[in-house]
Amino acid sequence: MTDELKIQVRTADQTRRAELDLDRSSTGADIIQAAVDNWALPADTDYTLVNTTTGRALMPGDELSKGVRAGDVVEVQPVLVAG
Amino acid sequence: MASTNPSRYLRHDLIDWLSQDVLAATRVAVVGAGAIGNEVAKNFALLGVGHVDIFDFDKVELHNLTRSIFLRESDVGRDKAEAVSARASEVDPNLRLSAITGDAWKTLRLRSLPDYDCVVTAVDNFEARLKLNQLCQIARVDMVNAAMDSRWVAVESYPFSSPDPTACYECHLPDSAYERVAQRYSCGGLKRRAHAERKIPTTAITASIAGAFAASTALRLGESRQLPSRRIFVDTIGGGSQVTELVRRDDCPGCAAFGAAPRLVHASRRWNRPGAEPDAETARQVLRLSEALITDYRCANCGMLEIADRYINRKAADFDDSIAFCAGCRQPAIQIEIRDCFRVQELVERFGARPIPVKYALAEINGQTVCFNFEEDDR
Repeated sequence: MTDELKIQVRTADQTRRAELDLDRSSTGADIIQAAVDNWALPADTDYTLVNTTTGRALMPGDELSKGVRAGDVVEVQPVLVAG
Repeated sequence: MASTNPSRYLRHDLIDWLSQDVLAATRVAVVGAGAIGNEVAKNFALLGVGHVDIFDFDKVELHNLTRSIFLRESDVGRDKAEAVSARASEVDPNLRLSAITGDAWKTLRLRSLPDYDCVVTAVDNFEARLKLNQLCQIARVDMVNAAMDSRWVAVESYPFSSPDPTACYECHLPDSAYERVAQRYSCGGLKRRAHAERKIPTTAITASIAGAFAASTALRLGESRQLPSRRIFVDTIGGGSQVTELVRRDDCPGCAAFGAAPRLVHASRRWNRPGAEPDAETARQVLRLSEALITDYRCANCGMLEIADRYINRKAADFDDSIAFCAGCRQPAIQIEIRDCFRVQELVERFGARPIPVKYALAEINGQTVCFNFEEDDR
């Protein structure tokens, strides 16, 4: 097993997507931070990760290897708070 | 209350997965009478949900009217919960709709929470959602969390009444959300006077979709099984939606401490009877209070202050950061200690027979979390 994992990351509106080779030890928080930085997502919003292939949410602190397999599509979704 | 005309629900009666009797017997709490709360109340009233309690502390403002179906210009300045409850009652006078005005943290009692089939949280900040998440877990009542912005809608269901451990609202909350809550406070518990709340734009479109999914999820319409914690995420512009399973996080700050379901014990704030000293084992027992208390207050320049008694052993949340400024030396030199964990012996020494000013206290006793509900004095 290689130390890298090829996955697809996209925003919730699917206007931004990238195929990435990520270290298995990368965390969900790492992906979110990279998405915010590289895609200039609004910094005053909080984000969460969803593995759309499995239909499961990813824990921000968990390593990718725990909930993602090669080829999975991971989506960065805003955490909503207004009522 | 008028009696229901059976022809009112003729169309509902044609739906094989919808039981009007079950809906009439259902009791729900809607916390937050804002845009989503209005829509949820509307749906419950139209569906014939028998008992709906609407909680909100806020007053109606003019800008609420672009998203809140039950509010009118004549309601500006009126209690939101009252206004929404009154108008929702007009939809169907046979239902019991009640307004509970005030901070839901105080008005939503742990003793009465289990009477609800579900609590819908339609509030507008993380802090309130975190608190409701705690209360619903302790009371083991199902929670539906509904939120939105100008495009997206998220409706999450947390089946806390299930005997199986389930994910809670905090299991997937990123650290940045806690940082946002912390920005409202200084010294670990005092409100910041200068903090400006972030204004999040929303529309009637997102509110109505959030309200529809929240009401349907709360009533488990068309679904008789107990589903695991999950999130419905909707793009109101693109039309797409996703259902995501929310897995329980082992080290979750919101639910890991509970382990199995917490045992609820109703107690008095005046829990320490004069002359009845706790035994050694009880004295060592650690209690985590629902709210942090100020435990020390002194000036780095002037030392202990006479006015310290105004603050010590009071809830930190009752004060803002203006109390960190010393009136004696006119410097921001006040050192304030704020804690929420205490041994029983320390509480005995601090409060004696006086009431402890918190909602509840949690303790680990023989491997089980026990919640001592101190609200009994408030009844």
